[in-house]
Amino acid sequence: MAGLLNKLRMMDTAGKKPPTTNEDLHSPAVRLYHKEFLYPITTFCDRRSATPDILEKVFECAFPAKVSPEDVLFLDTETTGLSGGVGTIAFQIGLGYFSRVGFVVEQYLMHDYPQEPEMLRQLAARMQRFPIICTFNGKTFDVPLLRNRFIMNRMSDDCIPVTHADVLYPARRLWKLRLGQCTLGNLENQLLGVEREDDLPGAMVPQAYFQYLKDRDFSQMEKVLEHNRQDIVSLAQLYFELCRLMARPEEIVQCEDLLSLARMCERTGDSQRANKCYRMCAKGDTRAEAFRAMSIHAKRQGQTDTAIKLCKAMLSRGDDPIYAYEALAKLYEHQLRQPEQALHYTRQALLILAEPSLEYDEKRMEKQESLKHRYARLRRKLNQNT
Amino acid sequence: MDCVTEWRTLPATEGQYADFPDAMDARIKTVLQKRGIYRLYTHQAECFQLASQGKDYVVVTPTASGKTMCYNLPVVSAILNNPDSRALYLFPTKALSADQVSGLYSMIEELGVDIKAYTYDGDTQGAARKAIRQAGHIVVTNPDMLHANILPHHTKWVKLFENLKYIVIDEIHTYRGIFGSHLANVLRRLIRLCAFYGSHPQFILCSATIANPAELATALTGRSIEAVTNNGAPMGERHFVFYNPPVVNKPLGIRRGVVPEVRRVSEKLLSNGIPTIVFCKSRIQVEIMTRYMKDCVKDAYGFSGRVRGYRGGYLPGERHEIERGLRAGEVDMVISTNALELGIDIGSLSACVLCGYPGTIASTWQQAGRAGRRKETALTIMVASSAALDQYIIENPDYFFNASPEHALVQPDNLYVLTSHLKCSAYELPFEDGENFGNVKDTDQFLEYLTENNILRHLDDKYYWMEEELPSGEISLRSATSENYIIIDITNPAHHRVIGEMDHFTVPMLLHENAIYMHEARQYQVEKLDYDACKAYIRAVDVDYYTDADLNVSLHILDDLEQKQLPNNVTLTLGELRVSTIVKIFKKMKLDTHETLGFGVVRLPQTDMHTTGMWWTIPDSLAFRYSNDDLQGALVAISNLLGIVAPLYLMCAPHDVRVVYQVKAPITDKPTIFLYDSYPGGVGLSEKAYQMQEMLLEEALKVATGCGCEDGCPACAGPLAEIGEGGKQRAIAVLKELLS
Repeated sequence: MAGLLNKLRMMDTAGKKPPTTNEDLHSPAVRLYHKEFLYPITTFCDRRSATPDILEKVFECAFPAKVSPEDVLFLDTETTGLSGGVGTIAFQIGLGYFSRVGFVVEQYLMHDYPQEPEMLRQLAARMQRFPIICTFNGKTFDVPLLRNRFIMNRMSDDCIPVTHADVLYPARRLWKLRLGQCTLGNLENQLLGVEREDDLPGAMVPQAYFQYLKDRDFSQMEKVLEHNRQDIVSLAQLYFELCRLMARPEEIVQCEDLLSLARMCERTGDSQRANKCYRMCAKGDTRAEAFRAMSIHAKRQGQTDTAIKLCKAMLSRGDDPIYAYEALAKLYEHQLRQPEQALHYTRQALLILAEPSLEYDEKRMEKQESLKHRYARLRRKLNQNT
Repeated sequence: MDCVTEWRTLPATEGQYADFPDAMDARIKTVLQKRGIYRLYTHQAECFQLASQGKDYVVVTPTASGKTMCYNLPVVSAILNNPDSRALYLFPTKALSADQVSGLYSMIEELGVDIKAYTYDGDTQGAARKAIRQAGHIVVTNPDMLHANILPHHTKWVKLFENLKYIVIDEIHTYRGIFGSHLANVLRRLIRLCAFYGSHPQFILCSATIANPAELATALTGRSIEAVTNNGAPMGERHFVFYNPPVVNKPLGIRRGVVPEVRRVSEKLLSNGIPTIVFCKSRIQVEIMTRYMKDCVKDAYGFSGRVRGYRGGYLPGERHEIERGLRAGEVDMVISTNALELGIDIGSLSACVLCGYPGTIASTWQQAGRAGRRKETALTIMVASSAALDQYIIENPDYFFNASPEHALVQPDNLYVLTSHLKCSAYELPFEDGENFGNVKDTDQFLEYLTENNILRHLDDKYYWMEEELPSGEISLRSATSENYIIIDITNPAHHRVIGEMDHFTVPMLLHENAIYMHEARQYQVEKLDYDACKAYIRAVDVDYYTDADLNVSLHILDDLEQKQLPNNVTLTLGELRVSTIVKIFKKMKLDTHETLGFGVVRLPQTDMHTTGMWWTIPDSLAFRYSNDDLQGALVAISNLLGIVAPLYLMCAPHDVRVVYQVKAPITDKPTIFLYDSYPGGVGLSEKAYQMQEMLLEEALKVATGCGCEDGCPACAGPLAEIGEGGKQRAIAVLKELLS
């Protein structure tokens, strides 16, 4: 059958990779890598804000009635690929949790594939103790991947905590407006002031592991482990940071973040807190948006006068006049029943839209259409009345 | 009537019936009785019996024989018995899945039970996908989805894999050649995963009439499979007519074109209000014929909806509308490529016109079967073209009526295909020492090879996947690339609209720049072909010509595998080839007269394919007897002759194997005639030809000597203009040398 192998080799047009050097790298003496690191509690900001009530507002999912910081297992994995199929393996798993002495980071790394079942068994035993798991993008990546690994190794995946706080989504909601990119690296850099030195970029991790399997040079794996430890500490910090800011918006300095937080509150129906945030960010670049949101809030609360005042304030500052005129038109038509005034404001909005615009803008055209309809309707209404 | 060379009448057959099997769920019996069905056809009952005995089977079904019952009855019955049971249906195309599922739905609805049947394909929405994975009793999909979306993510389908009871594969005769080889390997992967999840599904397969259904089913599934062939469905009387267009140029042996003849025949049928299907060989023919026929029925407002064209490349919505119109009897004539050959339900048609011999006996019967579905008398008229194969069939009606249909060949162990899927399978589940991939004996050799290449890691007793990427992403089951080109109509600059799509291989032929592209009988000119973005921009035009691209083929020998010496120092070699195809020019042909009006240049990259081939190398001693031109003429003639007989004796479709020649082959510098598989990696045809080369040459010689023409004609060595004066005689002489 040497012929078959030769034929297979011949079939290959691509350049060949060097064969594996595999000398006694897999001796039973080399056990699964497992180490613990301890971080002082002071690494973390105020942890008291993470109450079930606040957590639900941040993560938009149900939490147990009582949650203490010790209930949360922070988890991050390093994998052999990003494709998400069943052949991708988490070769390194990092866990973080609070104990009496501080924040513990436990790291596992399999020196080779056969160590996976052992690693998963230990992971399952750890996970079982925690009601809550916290990850960064774990809902789409880490947790489904671990589920795959449990199934592939014929193990139950019941050990995975039911409640999952994925920091990626609230982080995006809160910081995307100001920071743009919401990767863990960018967030920790911008928010926590972390500067990573000599960091191994995430995209290189799979190849680094394959290389380690071949040459057994652990130095690259040290980097992976260090990277993973930092990820877990940053993850926990962001978790508490999100809770703190949700609990005490007044501590937020940046207007963009206040605006974002306000929008988050609106999503969960907390319009009181939202309005509080809008008031705080009614200045600078976020002024127009804040006034607009406040006017909508006032209108919903039935405070027509306040709503009108807010819209007029927008006009006096030149903020989003088309919106303001249209909102005034609606308020005057439906709340105050003054169609002449409503017509006046509609006309004002149309006048602005009539100004030539350089670019073709579909939204603008649509707005113009709807205002024209409003205008025509008000006209008819007035004609009938007279 | 002069042109009718053969008229055969196949008598009607009575139906054979059997009582409902006892094991069949009573609720199903009630539903069938409500539909007016009190007994099953014998083959349906036999299928049910085999299924309940836990056996795998393939049922061979002519059109309109109640095929779906052969699998729906056992599957639905099993799910009624145990609601945890799951079934997986595979259809070769999306259109077929949609058609079959709607039939399944109506049965489930009448049963009034909670059985969930879903199609899972590229059109399925993300949210629905989750529900299907969790709760679908019957998942209907195609091999491509199984390969790329289901198997590499099998952990999301735990419920399906753990409880999989039946795997239903319909239209297995379409899985021949490389597509079949792919499917066989996808099934090896599927079975391997089922074993992992602890299920052992049964196979139910359906095939149109082919010579070797059991063999094909066995090759595809790796299990020995029984064939159910006793068709119990009744059939009406059928008339089969051979029609040979008159000779218009006697010395050249040229007959009147097939398209104008089919046009005449079809017009007669149309004007007599006979519901008819016309099968054309190419998309262009479909479009031209549709235009002719639409002209016949156009009313005062230009409406011609009674005639419709149908082919791949129309969008699903448009196709469904045509199918519906056919079933409802609103459409009198449909002009189709072989796309309608498969089992899409199109109601009852009375006549079928074949525009040329469809290429294989199996598909001829399959196409003829589209007429007379419901016990009525049916008529099929085959209009022959002047192509050699057509003329051979016309000349030898007994060959056609007596021969068994073709064998469907698959080569699951094609090296390219096998290694590709072995990679996928290793990704999906690590191999263990001593484990075999399906029935591949040397699995360990392949795994060792992949380990050498650092794709796998062999440790303890397992082979672990050691790459970042998902291997299935790079492998397409159908052709070199899976990317389809979309066709955009830019006639209205403010409103561009997508009117169709086309596969990568056909694009250089039909969508090169300046091509006249026809869609629903409207002409468009290709304005721009964005090769990288896979888009063609076309604009409506009205011209009196169509375009026809010239495909240029060149060969390169990669490796000799086997060699033997023939008499007179002729060498026969079996080996591996690289076949490069490129379109460089196209012809503009006048509509109606089909005369050439001019040429245009095509600038497109060439496409390469590696395959197996066999070739005769002719020694100088023989070649030097002829001048260069004479030799070339003889080689053309021999290639033409071999091209006629090879598909017949290798039992394959004409486009499965190609014959080309080179006056001076690279390296040897000697005249050479090549025969190769036109599939990447090959499907075993060349190996077969290598074994039976003598017979091929003998048959080629027989065709040449047996033909009445003097200096060659399209039906044997080729027209005089192509092979030159005396070309036929020289070809006969050379063939004799090769044989003596």
